Amino acid sequence: MFAAGVVLFVPFSQLALGVNYDYTLRTVALGGALLGVVSGVLGSFAVLRRESLIGDALSHAALPGVGIAFLIAGRSLGVLLIGAAIASWLGVRFINALTRTTRIKQDTAMGIVLAAWFALGIALLTYIQSLPNASQAGLDKFIFGQAAAIVESDVQLIAVVGAISFVVLGLFWKEFKLITFDFEFAAANGFRVGFLGALLSTLIVVAIVLGLQLAGVILMVGMLIAPGIAARQWTHKLGQMVLLSGVFGAFAGGVGAILSALDVDLPTGPMIIVVAFAVVLLSLAVAPDRGLLWTSLQRRSDARRFAAINTLNDIYRYAEAHGGVNHTVPSDIVIGVRGRSGIAGLRALTQDGMIVRTEDGWRLTDAGADTAGRQAESLRLWDVYRTFGEALDLPAVPEDRLRDIRDVLSPDDIEALVWASAEDKR
Amino acid sequence: MEGIEQILISILLNFVGREEMNAFLRDPRSAAVIVGALIALSGALLGTFLLLRGMALTSDAISHTVLLGIVVAFLVMTGLLGLEADLSSPWLIIGAAGAGVATVVLTEAIYRSGLVKQDAALGLAFPLLFAVAIILVSRFADDVHLDADSVMVGEIGVAWANTNSHCLGPCETVTVTEDDPRAEITRQCTNCRELGISPRDAAAEFVEVCSNCGTYSAAQAYREGFTEIEPQLVFWPKSITVTGLMALLTVGFVALFYKELKLSTFDAALARSLGFRPGLISYALMVLVSLVAVGAFDAVGSILVIAFFIIPPAAAYLLSDRLGVMLLISPLIGTLGAVFGYDLARGHLFGVIELSPVLAWLNSTFDMALVEQWDTSISASMVLMLFGIFVLCWVLSPKYGLISTSLRRAAQRKQFDDQVVLGHVYNHSGTERAAEELAVDHLHEHFRWTPRKMQRVLSRLQASALVKVDGRVVTLTALGSDAIHTFRAQYLSSTPAPIAG
Repeated sequence: MFAAGVVLFVPFSQLALGVNYDYTLRTVALGGALLGVVSGVLGSFAVLRRESLIGDALSHAALPGVGIAFLIAGRSLGVLLIGAAIASWLGVRFINALTRTTRIKQDTAMGIVLAAWFALGIALLTYIQSLPNASQAGLDKFIFGQAAAIVESDVQLIAVVGAISFVVLGLFWKEFKLITFDFEFAAANGFRVGFLGALLSTLIVVAIVLGLQLAGVILMVGMLIAPGIAARQWTHKLGQMVLLSGVFGAFAGGVGAILSALDVDLPTGPMIIVVAFAVVLLSLAVAPDRGLLWTSLQRRSDARRFAAINTLNDIYRYAEAHGGVNHTVPSDIVIGVRGRSGIAGLRALTQDGMIVRTEDGWRLTDAGADTAGRQAESLRLWDVYRTFGEALDLPAVPEDRLRDIRDVLSPDDIEALVWASAEDKR
Repeated sequence: MEGIEQILISILLNFVGREEMNAFLRDPRSAAVIVGALIALSGALLGTFLLLRGMALTSDAISHTVLLGIVVAFLVMTGLLGLEADLSSPWLIIGAAGAGVATVVLTEAIYRSGLVKQDAALGLAFPLLFAVAIILVSRFADDVHLDADSVMVGEIGVAWANTNSHCLGPCETVTVTEDDPRAEITRQCTNCRELGISPRDAAAEFVEVCSNCGTYSAAQAYREGFTEIEPQLVFWPKSITVTGLMALLTVGFVALFYKELKLSTFDAALARSLGFRPGLISYALMVLVSLVAVGAFDAVGSILVIAFFIIPPAAAYLLSDRLGVMLLISPLIGTLGAVFGYDLARGHLFGVIELSPVLAWLNSTFDMALVEQWDTSISASMVLMLFGIFVLCWVLSPKYGLISTSLRRAAQRKQFDDQVVLGHVYNHSGTERAAEELAVDHLHEHFRWTPRKMQRVLSRLQASALVKVDGRVVTLTALGSDAIHTFRAQYLSSTPAPIAG
């Protein structure tokens, strides 16, 4: 369904929105989509390792590398990106050194690197602007990103470098999975966690550096982690998550680029971020099993069940105490005891055919009396189990009063409980 | 705003003359350093609490999203209210505070859903708000007058030029009307262009226009030559007032709520149970961070400002364990960064090292075409200087510094080596294999040490008279025996058996 949406988006945008697919837009959209795949896939690991903000620090930290590379080698994209990668990588090392040797926490260390490296970058760029050769124009586009400057060779670069990093990811898949989910276990079992962690950080640096030109240093963090966060909602498996994250990244990158073509005043990087965030919101809302919509439905049905069980128990006890299970129970009693949940319980029980309305209250049906009897017995046995379970050497099970205890314990155990309660009464 | 400036000026004039004050304030260096120091003061105070609460990067998020607040406030001012956009308007303050609170609320909302971790929630919220701000800027750039450069680095270098002038002397305004002898009346042809005729044509119609009518302030009137007497003016940089107010607000907040801040920072649960409102304090802190960020926006831009929140407190954290001391040290570090940072931007490092010769050397050695005059962003240089001070603290801090910790480790290692050897000698003294185990020439083999290391340890032990060497065999002195007894009693809590034989 999602893939169909992606495929249909291009003709839709052409016909309904009047987007003109010229060479520039094709290049930018393709570049955005490819970049989305790379950063989505690699960013998943940053999300899972709770290092989401490392993307923020490292993208800012790339700037002085761009400046120094320019001073040394001039404006050649490859060299600038290598400079950016080295600067970011030094930032990672600094963060690690600082957190290892002092009591400064990782978030503060990231803030220090972010600010200091970025300031060095700004100082260098300001200085470069005073240089006589005019070709420095456009260097500051790294800060906000400038998608229009992307040409075909840049797209090829993203594709090639992305492919290489995927190969590395494939080779170390098992190891990366291990250090992501259980770092201590990996370390204790002789995996070279230092090397593996540095390698994974390097891959993330690569994704960031590739994205600088398009998204810019400030927004790169969103590009890196948003697809991963969205993908996390849909699955519990790492492989599926990484794949899905790549798809989401491609969607955000491509669609963001196309939307930004609607108007010259719409910048590409920010549009990509907005689309990516929309994907995240959608995932948070509707993802099966986890999404907000799902959990709120779940919560409502749980509340209904609770109300039904409690109300049934109330009616049963009152009726028994006043002359038998067929005795009518006045509404005031039920609602007075439970309040609003009592009303909800009455409604649910009527729907289930457990009770019927009479002139002056509520009466249990036969099915209702039967269920209520079994339920009351189960609740009583749960009490007995809590008191004597250990003494009787019964198996330890989690106490779940919503379930019938006879479904949880074996008939022999139940018999022991019944016997114990009889003894206790005597 | 101007009233506050006037009061301040009248106080200051008791101490300095008007000329000196103007000369001082119109010096780019002093204006920039004052503004930088005021930002550093408020940033460092608030940042200390952020650091201790583990929220250092919240300042990063807020400083980004403040841009959204500013843009929205500008759009409201120009679009809805028809006001002139101004970086010191109260609307801006409201916008910034709103953006700061919005960031925190959005982050918490995402986090509370239980589906996203805290760091990821922050990493989602602020790029989104920043992206929206950038889109608004691009769409409505004509209304907003914000360009990328001012967002990135601010304009602290021209803080001296953007001033309010305050008149002390003869301050009468001068109004020139059309029948005033000073009025300059010109005749303009109203239909010449329309009809395509020259003004000499008989059909031309004329109106008389006064080109200089209007009301002039005393300073303008003097400049135009309407009055003879020069008014006495003081030019007060607007940034100083804005950042000064933020600093005052921050200092006041920290002083008034010191107890609440301290308690809610170190033990939020206790604070809550004692009836304080840690949540409220936290929001107040965030609002102040937003206000300082927006006050500093003009001067240092929206990203570099986070350095003033994070770096000085981190440096102070390496120097002291006490909150009160940290709150004194970190503004001091921030101020030093502002002072020396300005000079760094002009190529002087602490007034000792000059950068121009370094660039010249680079040019001559590597044949690079660099401009030898180092002249760069002042705000970025202030941040670099803060970072430099931080690195100095990291290396030199007496308790947590790299040097002191490595010295302490080395001392511990030595002590450990000494004890190991002492224990070995103790265990084997008087046993049958003593001659073999304790032979000076082979002792190192028992520890798998190098002979040199063994030699160093032995000479240390001999120097403190704990062991002596008798005929190539190491034996314990009485002092050494005592030492090992106390050591074992102290650390191993067992009393060793007396030496046999």
